[in-house]
Amino acid sequence: MNQRSLHSDMGVIVKTTARATIPLIGIFGAYVVSHGHLTPGGGFQGGATIAGAGILFLLAFGLGEMKKKYDHHLYSALEGLGGLVFLGMAMLGLGVAFFYNTLWHNGPFNGEPGTLLSAGYLPIMNLAVGLKVFTGLMSAMVAIAMYRRWKE
Amino acid sequence: MKRTFGALALLFIFGTLLVVANPQHGLKFGLGGEEWEKHRYTDQYYIEHGLEDVGGTNIVTDIVFDYRGYDTIGEATVLFTAIAGAVALLRPWRRDEE
Repeated sequence: MNQRSLHSDMGVIVKTTARATIPLIGIFGAYVVSHGHLTPGGGFQGGATIAGAGILFLLAFGLGEMKKKYDHHLYSALEGLGGLVFLGMAMLGLGVAFFYNTLWHNGPFNGEPGTLLSAGYLPIMNLAVGLKVFTGLMSAMVAIAMYRRWKE
Repeated sequence: MKRTFGALALLFIFGTLLVVANPQHGLKFGLGGEEWEKHRYTDQYYIEHGLEDVGGTNIVTDIVFDYRGYDTIGEATVLFTAIAGAVALLRPWRRDEE
């Protein structure tokens, strides 16, 4: 019972519903991340939303299925990459100052405010933070789910 | 004895905070008009200049990622450290590995 319940999955209704809703949650999270400079939300919120889709996958299909899809090294590398992209965007305008928004003042991302390609490095930073939050929360959840066992 | 002292200290701090939060002595809530100009001039600046300075229509994102970017770096670092600590502590012990 103990070992089985750790690695087993939910019933067929839950699995089918999860198959339908996980893409929707993921797309909504991606929308929140990519429109962080236009509408409420942003990297942290959208990343947490996408991580919710991942956690739904973990709960509905079980740890056994998750282990096949989840690569610890990839997720760690992606989390670091998110942080590095964030720092790199902050350093782009280092000629003037740290966090100088050079992409907005004279770069390619200087469209009309309110359009997707505006606000300088804000969309890229949102994507980086969203990636970081998603991968970080997923590695933490999988680490908790794979915890040794319940009894000593 | 110690617990009583701790509870009294908590009660004292709570009472002090209640006094501070009283509009007649300290904090004011629901500012508007002249009080807004006097106490919230930084917010007023962000609202007026955020669009031209940063270019995003979401003022919160403008502040969090541009005006106060260092804060967000720290926040991301806190998240990174928390995840790293959790993953490091939750690894299997050496004698538990099959």
